[in-house]
Amino acid sequence: MVTLNVNGRTVDVNAAPDTPLLWALRDELKLKGTRYGCGAGMCGACTVHIDGQATFSCQMTIGDAAGAEITTIEGLSETGDHRVQQAWIAEQVPQCGYCQSGQIMRAAALLANNPRPSRQEIVDEMSANLCRCGTYPRIIRAIERAAQEG
Amino acid sequence: MKVHTRHPTRRGFLKGSGALSFALLATGSAAVLPSATEAQPLPDGRVTAWVTITPDNRMTIMFGSAEMGQGVSTSLPMIVAEELDADWSTVASEQVSTDPEGVYGNPMAGGILFAAGSSSVEGYFTYLRQAGAQARQILIRIAGAHWGVPPEEVTTRQSTVLHEPTGAVMTYGEVAALPDPVWPSGEMPQAELKLRADWSIMGTDVERLDIPGKTTGAPVYSIDVEVPDMLHGALLLSPVEGETPTLNSDTDARAVDGVVDVIVMDHAVAVLARSYTAALAGRDALDVRWTETSPFRKANSADELAALAAAADDMSADAVVWESRGGDQAAFSSADVVTGTYTTEHVYHAQMEPLNAVASVDADGMGAEIWLGTQSQTASIMIAAAVLGTTPDRIRFHAMQMGGAFGRRTVFAREQMRDALLLSKAAGRPVKLVWTREDDVKNGWLRPATVQRLDAALDAEGYPTALRHRIASPSIFQFAMPDRWNPETRRDLLVMEGAESSDYDFGTFQAEHVLVPRRSRLSAWRGIGWAPNCFARECFMDELAERAGIDPVSYRRRLLAGSPRALAVLDAAVAMSDFGNPPEGRAHGIAFAGYKKTLATGVAEVSYEGERLRVHRFWTAIDPGIVIHPQAYRAQVEGGILFGLSSVLRERSTFTKGQIDQSNFYDYEPIRISDIPEIEVRFVESGEAPSGGGEIGVPMTAPAISNAVRRLTGESQRRLPFVTGS
Repeated sequence: MVTLNVNGRTVDVNAAPDTPLLWALRDELKLKGTRYGCGAGMCGACTVHIDGQATFSCQMTIGDAAGAEITTIEGLSETGDHRVQQAWIAEQVPQCGYCQSGQIMRAAALLANNPRPSRQEIVDEMSANLCRCGTYPRIIRAIERAAQEG
Repeated sequence: MKVHTRHPTRRGFLKGSGALSFALLATGSAAVLPSATEAQPLPDGRVTAWVTITPDNRMTIMFGSAEMGQGVSTSLPMIVAEELDADWSTVASEQVSTDPEGVYGNPMAGGILFAAGSSSVEGYFTYLRQAGAQARQILIRIAGAHWGVPPEEVTTRQSTVLHEPTGAVMTYGEVAALPDPVWPSGEMPQAELKLRADWSIMGTDVERLDIPGKTTGAPVYSIDVEVPDMLHGALLLSPVEGETPTLNSDTDARAVDGVVDVIVMDHAVAVLARSYTAALAGRDALDVRWTETSPFRKANSADELAALAAAADDMSADAVVWESRGGDQAAFSSADVVTGTYTTEHVYHAQMEPLNAVASVDADGMGAEIWLGTQSQTASIMIAAAVLGTTPDRIRFHAMQMGGAFGRRTVFAREQMRDALLLSKAAGRPVKLVWTREDDVKNGWLRPATVQRLDAALDAEGYPTALRHRIASPSIFQFAMPDRWNPETRRDLLVMEGAESSDYDFGTFQAEHVLVPRRSRLSAWRGIGWAPNCFARECFMDELAERAGIDPVSYRRRLLAGSPRALAVLDAAVAMSDFGNPPEGRAHGIAFAGYKKTLATGVAEVSYEGERLRVHRFWTAIDPGIVIHPQAYRAQVEGGILFGLSSVLRERSTFTKGQIDQSNFYDYEPIRISDIPEIEVRFVESGEAPSGGGEIGVPMTAPAISNAVRRLTGESQRRLPFVTGS
């Protein structure tokens, strides 16, 4: 049993401390918006915020996550109207959508830490996350839009 | 492919009130039905709702092609809504999961539910327009009868029926709510379709219906499905195709907390557990030995590439003629023939959602409920029925949104969904079977390598009088769709399509396929045959132009002179890129490429930063006939160009002794955001019927980049991925 703080709530997870946070979120807490893509910290589909920092949830155990503020895509905004989410709609970013929770979480953390990132800073930060459909050009535009509107 | 237009031969209506459903009958015509809550089946049960209108004036339109990111959940309903004169803001769409009556299938895919090869809009276009137009006519007739006015005087606008002489107006929702509507009777005539000038939905950039949900994590992919009492399954798959396991011990696996069962299958050992992490831990603890007798133990990708190169050069090798024009085959034996040889290596799909399937087999073992992200609902249902030895009506199928597909999810059900079914049947409980990324990489159905040899006999100016395009490759079709493979004709469209080069006039022309035995599992990959085949041909065109001392645009213009559509996209791409005038230190390269009826030209602007190839900009002009949903089409083109770029820079699967050498994204890494160029897409509409957009970005990209690199460095890149790429 591990106690976590997820999306502002304290929850008990009935799993061993070495369980990857990704699988605890998905299968124990039923927060399915955080996706499994590689389990190796290579694709970023599982990106969540740990104390505000974009983190691969497949690479962190729930034991290590205990005590931290964990935010998933479900907790990013109450009604899906975070400025990054709005910019994602305005730029019509997603195709299959599978990687997009992770992309949005990384973009939101970037803007929280650096409200006016340069294009190069956007590219450097977002290089952690893969998108196989090829939505990259729209991801850049959406982050630039969210930065301007933020 | 032939597009069948279906004509109404049977109609029927149900008594009742409430929501109206426009039914697509077994024969494909539209009729109107009341709400499902009060609906009674027609005497023969043959009705299927296509559009449902509810009294609150909202509308749900079904779509048959499976959504994998290409946007059919919006573009196909747009076609229906246009002819129905719907208010788009009231429209929602819903995936078709099953089609027992064969009414939702894609006419271009033999009438089955099958989304592949950029065929959805092209295949459904005429059919959905008719369905929408007929549904509109039915609304007009109901309203006319209600008002006691002739239907000819009733018009529609924005989900509203109007009778201008009396000022009578009803929303479609109010028509749906009529307590006792008078149903039109008799055969509905083929409805008149709108003129393009009157379109208000098609050709506009409406927002995709699926995007808001995809920004909140809400979509449910099959990997997210939860069923009560469900077990999680992980497989220890045979390391080499065709081998059988012997279980030395499962004691340690069963000792893992949460593991429920270990089941030996003919090609795998399955661990079923209460959580996926427990299933993986149990799998790690298995002690299994394999037969190690598979002939694929001798399969090496390096050997395959060598065999393909030898086959392409061996003129005595058996070759299947794919296309032949003109008759002077002797031209290829003359002394003045110029030859170019091009190679494409094996590639993996790398769709972001690893393959998975959820199955719940009925207690009698003769039926099942299935949740699957598949490019073909129909094929999956047929496979499921065959696995259980039952009939398709016993399969309750849920087609799920896919986390990417790119050709990998066409018929994969025959392996993975089969396994989920067998495990659920054995366990007596629902099972979710998930491949890890490593399973997905190592058990990929690869696009095979090709070696392509082009021979051209040239006239005094350096233009071809004869050209032969000879492609050595295993057959994808024979492996992926063996039941449809014709061993007499051996025509493999998944390998060969695009090699016909039908827009070019080469004088005598022949495309031929030298079949080589497969050494790996195979499937089509985004761009299908067009990607490798256009790569080879377009690199060769540039090399011939250079040899002739003619610029690559003029050279192509002369050879494409008989295809006005080809010239239009070529000229547009040249203009938009200011082709041939790159900034200092960079070079431009051009390629003309099609995908089925869609034509395109791409221009790449490249440079080298040290050893690193950079593609700075990419321009493309595309003629897809008519564009139904421009912003989504543009997104497909951007994605296709980036897929093509990824194949240039670093995508390569290799295998040794029957085992794929790569494991995960650390050794099979598609391009990242740091690799992308600025992309500019321009449509050059010819006004032909709309053709697809999912593949068209891919075939032009690699040759345009290769031709740019040759201009920059003087060295030809004749291999994918590039030898010096990245």
